[in-house]
Amino acid sequence: MAYDAQPAPATVYHPAPAGMNIKVAASDLSVRYGGALALDRVAMDIPDRSVTACIGPSGCGKSTFLRCINRMNDTIETARVSGSIRIDGEEVNDRSIDPVLLRARVGMVFQKPNPFPKSIYENVAYGPRIHGLAASKDELDAIVETSLTKAGLWKEVADRLHQPGTSLSGGQQQRLVIARAIAVNPEVILMDEPCSALDPIATARIEELIDELRENYALIIVTHSMAQAARVSQMTAFFHLGALVEYGPTEEIFTNPRDQRTQDYITGRFG
Amino acid sequence: MQISVLVALTLLVLIAFGFLTGRRRALSVRAQGGPRLHSLPNYYGYYIALWTGGPALVLLAAYGAFGSGLVNTLAMSQLEREAAPLIAEFERQLDADAQIIALLEEAAEADADAMEAREAITRARDSGLDPQAFQGALAGHTTRLTEIGARLDQRRGEIARSVAARAPSSDAGIRARSGFEFWNSPRERRELFLADARAIAFGEGLASRNTPELRAAALAMRPVEDIFRWSVAALVLSMAVGGLAWGRSRVKASFRARNRVEAAISGLLMFASIIAILTTLGIVFSLLFESLRFFASIGWRVGDFLFGLQWSPQIAIRADQIGQSGAFGAAPLFAGTALITVIAMSVAVPVGLFSAIYMSEYASKRVRAVAKPILEVLAGVPTVVYGFFALLTVGPFLRDFALFLGYEDAVTQSALSAGLVMGVMIIPFVSSLSDDVINAVPQSLRDGAYAMGATKSETIRHVVLPAALPGIVGAVLLGVSRAIGETMIVVMAAGQGANLTANPLESVTTITVQIVTLLTGDQEFDSSKTLAAFALGLVLFVLTLMLNIIALRVVQRFRERYE
Repeated sequence: MAYDAQPAPATVYHPAPAGMNIKVAASDLSVRYGGALALDRVAMDIPDRSVTACIGPSGCGKSTFLRCINRMNDTIETARVSGSIRIDGEEVNDRSIDPVLLRARVGMVFQKPNPFPKSIYENVAYGPRIHGLAASKDELDAIVETSLTKAGLWKEVADRLHQPGTSLSGGQQQRLVIARAIAVNPEVILMDEPCSALDPIATARIEELIDELRENYALIIVTHSMAQAARVSQMTAFFHLGALVEYGPTEEIFTNPRDQRTQDYITGRFG
Repeated sequence: MQISVLVALTLLVLIAFGFLTGRRRALSVRAQGGPRLHSLPNYYGYYIALWTGGPALVLLAAYGAFGSGLVNTLAMSQLEREAAPLIAEFERQLDADAQIIALLEEAAEADADAMEAREAITRARDSGLDPQAFQGALAGHTTRLTEIGARLDQRRGEIARSVAARAPSSDAGIRARSGFEFWNSPRERRELFLADARAIAFGEGLASRNTPELRAAALAMRPVEDIFRWSVAALVLSMAVGGLAWGRSRVKASFRARNRVEAAISGLLMFASIIAILTTLGIVFSLLFESLRFFASIGWRVGDFLFGLQWSPQIAIRADQIGQSGAFGAAPLFAGTALITVIAMSVAVPVGLFSAIYMSEYASKRVRAVAKPILEVLAGVPTVVYGFFALLTVGPFLRDFALFLGYEDAVTQSALSAGLVMGVMIIPFVSSLSDDVINAVPQSLRDGAYAMGATKSETIRHVVLPAALPGIVGAVLLGVSRAIGETMIVVMAAGQGANLTANPLESVTTITVQIVTLLTGDQEFDSSKTLAAFALGLVLFVLTLMLNIIALRVVQRFRERYE
């Protein structure tokens, strides 16, 4: 409640660089969990075919922001979302939007690899199956193969597609989950600390993959690692206490932050 | 009694003293500024207390378990020695008695006749003739044998009484009579004799008789018991003191009391689990041996028992009964058990599982907080209450309904009413356990499915239930084993008729119900009728064991790990 007393956050807001399409646009976006304000009047334009990193200390609202984009906050009973968030100009919070269909357009990858208790094949085929994307078994096989190839996992699992997804290593599981998200052909992929449960080698593979996926999708990743944000992202948003403090091209944020708080965080003075 | 209380109290005091002295000694070592103590002072106390109490308590326990048996044996063997002249006289008279000799000859004759009749029956069967005439003859011979046996016993009793009466009525004479009576009793009578004598000597319970012989035995027991008590008391206390001194002598700064106490604790825990395992083994073996006796009594026709279609143990008491082989066919019981279990599970699994899904996935916190305890109240209802609910409410309703539908043979006590009510009884087991495993499925899996655009019920069907499957299978199998083992509802509501039927509207009976009927009331304990209960128990045990093994295999097969 203490937040309410504060003035509107002085968002240092950079428009997306010229020549890039805006894919996701948030304005005046707030989220409350019960009484607590988790996201405070965030406004942000996220470009297509690029990686946008959300950084900030724990509990700053960056994951909450991510969950607004595919309306995952609906699954939390106490969550109340206000304000606007648009994908390709279409209001996500509008009543006419079916969250189930929305989530087919916005894939999501979580912190801990969460393959379903099914085979590798069935994990990837799950989305196409429930959305009826494949007309035949061959078509489905093709989708599974392309998705696994895009996720860089095909070579490793081609000969054991029918083993349980949980039999893979942590890094492979995370790539399986990415393949699963790609399989429904989304436009936006959200990643919530996708590497925090992985070792450095697996992390490097995922980061490479993120860089490749940028060619076809708008990616938004939440990360605790500033090095990772600097490596993979083109745009960076710094959140603090539920507010968007600064948002701009990654290079600028890391080399020339305009807000004192951003500078403190980046230089490791708090976090 | 008073001595043992005194010993126990002294022991407690010694243990407490041991603890305090160990602690104090450790503290004084610390106070003198010597080398650092290895363990906290309390551990030295525990260590000495363990040495004080441990061996002494083991001895006390051994005395409690075997002491009275030892006293009985010692006292009675003394009396039997004193009865030696009487015993010799009795045996001399037995050998010389004309009536006994005649009876023994008669018995040998009858035995030979019976043997002949059996052979004749076999021959007649082999040659396809009707053996009925010979069977009648055999029955006659057996009856004669039994009568001769009774007369022999009677004559032996007369001789024993006349021999005993000849002993003088002095103290020594009565002691001899007492030893003679004990010597001349069969095993069960001996136990009764000992119990009565102990009752008179030490007031342990009530004596069924009070004769001079019993009083003599009681008198003989008392001094032996006294010596035992005192010597055990002295031994216990000296062991306690010795243990205390030994423990105390070991307390030094470098002594690792903490590790020793740790070892003692792990020993104690191991002892507890050994007791559990040994008890289980004991139950299994007692089942096994009594079952073997049963199978021996039906001539090792295990196949007839397991697959026989007729169950009527009540008429098969006499050893040479005609048609006995059909009487212990347990197939109707297995079929009845299976029928009721299937009915019960077809109620309990869907209702239990669906309510668990509702509780864990759909219900709001407030609904859940109210509904879950109410559902669990079902588990607290005594089975006998379910039983009369089935008998007085469900049974008549189902019967009337069946009659209304035109099924004229409908009865009140049917497999259906017992099974339905049993199903209701099992609902909370299935739902509560399933609820727990569904809740244990990580939220990240649900999020993953939602993020793929799955609806709530798709998420539950495709992701949550498969992930919870091992636990749900476990819950269902637990329900099955409860259904198989449930007795009271079936006794009351399913009837007693051992019908081999798949019709749920008929009466059936189950393994457990038959065990109850076989073992309650006045029974002779060595007839095949009573022993059949153990064989049924063994089958029940093997059945549940196999269920558990299957459950384990299923669970392993479907297990997925979420760390």
